[in-house]
Amino acid sequence: MTDYFEVHERDGAGRVGELRLSDSVRTPALVDDVLADAGSLWPGEREVPDGDESVLTVLPHRALPGGTPEEVREAFAVEYPDVEYPSAAVVAPDTAADASAAGTDAYILSNAQELTGHAGAFVTAVVRTREAIPADSALYLPGVATPANVATLAYAGVDLVDTDHAVVKGTQGRYLAVDGEYFLEDLTDLPCACPACQQPVGDFGREDCETHNVNALRAALATVRERIRSGRLRDYIEGQARHEGWLTAVFRRLDQQYGYLEQRTPVLRRAEVTATSDDTLRRVEIQRFAERVTGRYHCRFDNPLVLVPCSARKPYSESQSHGQFHDAIQFRAHVVSMTSPIGVVPQELELTYPAQHYDAAVTGHWSATETAFVADVLEAYLRRNDYPRVVAHVPAEYREICERVEGRLDRDFEYTVVDHPTTGESLSNLASTLSTELKYGKRERQHNTLRAVADYQFGDGAGDGIFEELRVESHYPKLRAHDADGEQLAALVPEYGVLSLTLAGARRWLDSDAPTRRVEIDGFVPHGSVLAPGVVDADDSIRVGDEVVVEGPHAFAVGRAEMSGPEMAESTRGVATRVRHVEER
Amino acid sequence: MSEPSPEVYEQGRGMDAHNQAMREIRARKDRTYDPREPTRVWLDEDNTPDGVYDSLTIILNTGGCRWARAGGCTMCGYVAESVEGGTVAHEDLMTQVETCLEHERDNAEDPAGQVKIYTSGSFLDEREIPAQTRRAIAETFADRDRIVVESLPDFVDRGKIADFTDRGLATDIAVGLETATDRVRRDCVNKYFEFAEFERAAADAREAGAGLKAYLLLKPPFLSESEAMADMTRSIRRCAGVAGCHTVSMNPCNVQRHTMVEDLFHADGYRPPWLWSVADVLESTADADVIVVSDPVGHGSDRGPHNCGECDDRVQRAIKDFDLRQEPAVFEQVSCDCERTWETVVERERSYSMPLAR
Ligand code: SF4
Ligand SMILES: [Zn+2]
Ligand SMILES: [Zn+2]
Repeated sequence: MTDYFEVHERDGAGRVGELRLSDSVRTPALVDDVLADAGSLWPGEREVPDGDESVLTVLPHRALPGGTPEEVREAFAVEYPDVEYPSAAVVAPDTAADASAAGTDAYILSNAQELTGHAGAFVTAVVRTREAIPADSALYLPGVATPANVATLAYAGVDLVDTDHAVVKGTQGRYLAVDGEYFLEDLTDLPCACPACQQPVGDFGREDCETHNVNALRAALATVRERIRSGRLRDYIEGQARHEGWLTAVFRRLDQQYGYLEQRTPVLRRAEVTATSDDTLRRVEIQRFAERVTGRYHCRFDNPLVLVPCSARKPYSESQSHGQFHDAIQFRAHVVSMTSPIGVVPQELELTYPAQHYDAAVTGHWSATETAFVADVLEAYLRRNDYPRVVAHVPAEYREICERVEGRLDRDFEYTVVDHPTTGESLSNLASTLSTELKYGKRERQHNTLRAVADYQFGDGAGDGIFEELRVESHYPKLRAHDADGEQLAALVPEYGVLSLTLAGARRWLDSDAPTRRVEIDGFVPHGSVLAPGVVDADDSIRVGDEVVVEGPHAFAVGRAEMSGPEMAESTRGVATRVRHVEER
Repeated sequence: MSEPSPEVYEQGRGMDAHNQAMREIRARKDRTYDPREPTRVWLDEDNTPDGVYDSLTIILNTGGCRWARAGGCTMCGYVAESVEGGTVAHEDLMTQVETCLEHERDNAEDPAGQVKIYTSGSFLDEREIPAQTRRAIAETFADRDRIVVESLPDFVDRGKIADFTDRGLATDIAVGLETATDRVRRDCVNKYFEFAEFERAAADAREAGAGLKAYLLLKPPFLSESEAMADMTRSIRRCAGVAGCHTVSMNPCNVQRHTMVEDLFHADGYRPPWLWSVADVLESTADADVIVVSDPVGHGSDRGPHNCGECDDRVQRAIKDFDLRQEPAVFEQVSCDCERTWETVVERERSYSMPLAR
């Protein structure tokens, strides 16, 4: 049982946690002052110490440093005792699974030196270890943290570090900063405002450098914790990690460990995605949206398709340019916006995270990667959705993409833009191209929107399954779905473009063919939240932010997941699900 | 309880694993050696119980240590310098000795007062050096004052030693004890005998009128810098307490080819000890009732004991100076900025975070 570590906030594999010692420690954090090492078993036999709640006790251990042959790792792996106080076990990535049987609160990777600087080995080892140990246990990478690498370590899933490496660097006259390492003798300015740096550079010695390095590491850790709390660690990493090649390689290689990151990435958040590099395209949020739009969503309109460029303002429909497109189109066509980094956004999903939650660097010019990405998504989208006509009302840089897709699909698009999409000539071309098409009504638009969001959120066909018969109330974007008898099933949440279900809606979901996400709980009636120890089992597919059905012998409820399914199932602490509606049974 | 030989040693799980790994690692070597050529020969100076002597030091090529063929010690690459397959014939071994004498004639005015003979294993193991060869070699050097032969303790017996003492040679047996801590010797070094066996060998040597010289290994794999220093200090004091053991030679571990230590080193899991650690141990055990010397091999290189690169030669000189004079004050005259780094490593490095500095 991990009793002394709890995860409070999640942002990808990074977490803000709490080491629950007598004075609790917010992680990711330094553990220098709270570690009590019971010693190595290599030189001698050790007693399992009595331990206490003020420190994290490193249980008697046998470190397996980098290069230890496999048979030696196996033969010398330690069986850790199950103790009643906060404890940590020293492991190698492949001994972590066995070691976790004792349920210690933290795990120390003893080959950290082998991993730092080597992105491939680092990612493999951290992913392997993280997956072998419980989600609510802390991972400690000893002797390697610097102000420059600590954000990436945390992003990968490391919770605990120490000042040892930063201090050693200080003794060697290496001045550490989030942007890397300086030779002390090369510095004309001290680029820091910490107390140690408040003196002339000529008086600044190696001891000061040690102090500064520790201060800089502390500040970097505080930044990491704040970034995780605000759901913006990835945005930070994409910029900050660029100062060192291996760190950039780490986050790119983690993107290739899609399953690891996807499981840990929330399906919605308040924070914006900052799209300032091609790396943004590989983010889970972006890939997931593209996957769902081209795999779950389908267009229910019979009208032609009009492809338009995205707008800076979101949702798009509130922008001036889209207002002009709308005036020309007049509900005679289905509107899909083309955008980097999202790909394509059908009009029904313009609110859905992250379609209105990103901020791109607009230059009027797309990189080859962006062009390829949007073309691939558009192609997949058009293979799945059959339109009588495709009208491309796009400027030159988008037209290139359209032509590429035309070629691949062997069909002709109609182009309506002269110069720029909002010129009078372009808009009148658009209007006249569509003048003979029929308009769709408000009811069709609202129904299609709710069903499209349901498809996106719950799976292919969910919109028809959950909303078999549908009556819509209120106005866009605050749409409410009712059944034929007037009972409310769901409401559209305008901030995230997702549905929140009522108990009746949850029952429809269970009855439909769409895959459900169930949390099975013990015999209690949850109010407000379900805590992890109350969870008996949870579907693997559940992600943070997902709508979930909660069922137990005495309760039926619907709510929103605060942990992934696997994390709910294996955690012994923390809020698993926020409950919105519950009924006893 | 002490075990007489590798064959009957009850092999534990850890030792099986070490041996299996070491066999695989050693299999990577592809060089073979001419059985008529000694592995190495050189001339140097040594501090002995009878004063400082010029030495002719010989490493005979004997077909290698049998323990190494089973896998063997985690830091030892000597087996890679042995002839392929089995034993070296008497005639070939005598040819090697002749080559060494030639080397001495070419490079020294007079024959050295002391001869030290190492093999890639045990000089007193008759499967390496047949009794006939041992006696012939004793005869060859009968005109010298002192002789040192290397052997694992299980092969030390009065009869064999008498071959030298009977010829009037002051005789020392050099034993690769590595550490006085059985657990470290077994689990970190993967050497099969126990301290009690060393004590027995010392007693036998003493009865035969010979002395014992213990070779200790500073910083075997899997120990942090401070653990290694503590183990060495403890070991020196225990050796000082063994009657007949008059000298300790502290060997800072270096990274030899085709060893487990080399694999660890390549994967950032091992750093040879700091020269400051060598100096510190020598200084702190200067009061022990035993001669303590150290000849750091490969000092100043990444694969050998080293400091920052600036001060390595100066510290090495102080160590050599100490070897001859046993005077701890020699270390007061050397200092460097990197001492603070070393102190930080000694204070902070754990076996699970090493190496904290390169
Ligand atoms: S250290 Fe000695 S016993 Fe060990 S393998 Fe080498 S030669 Fe053999
Ligand atoms: Zn500073
Ligand atoms: Zn130095």
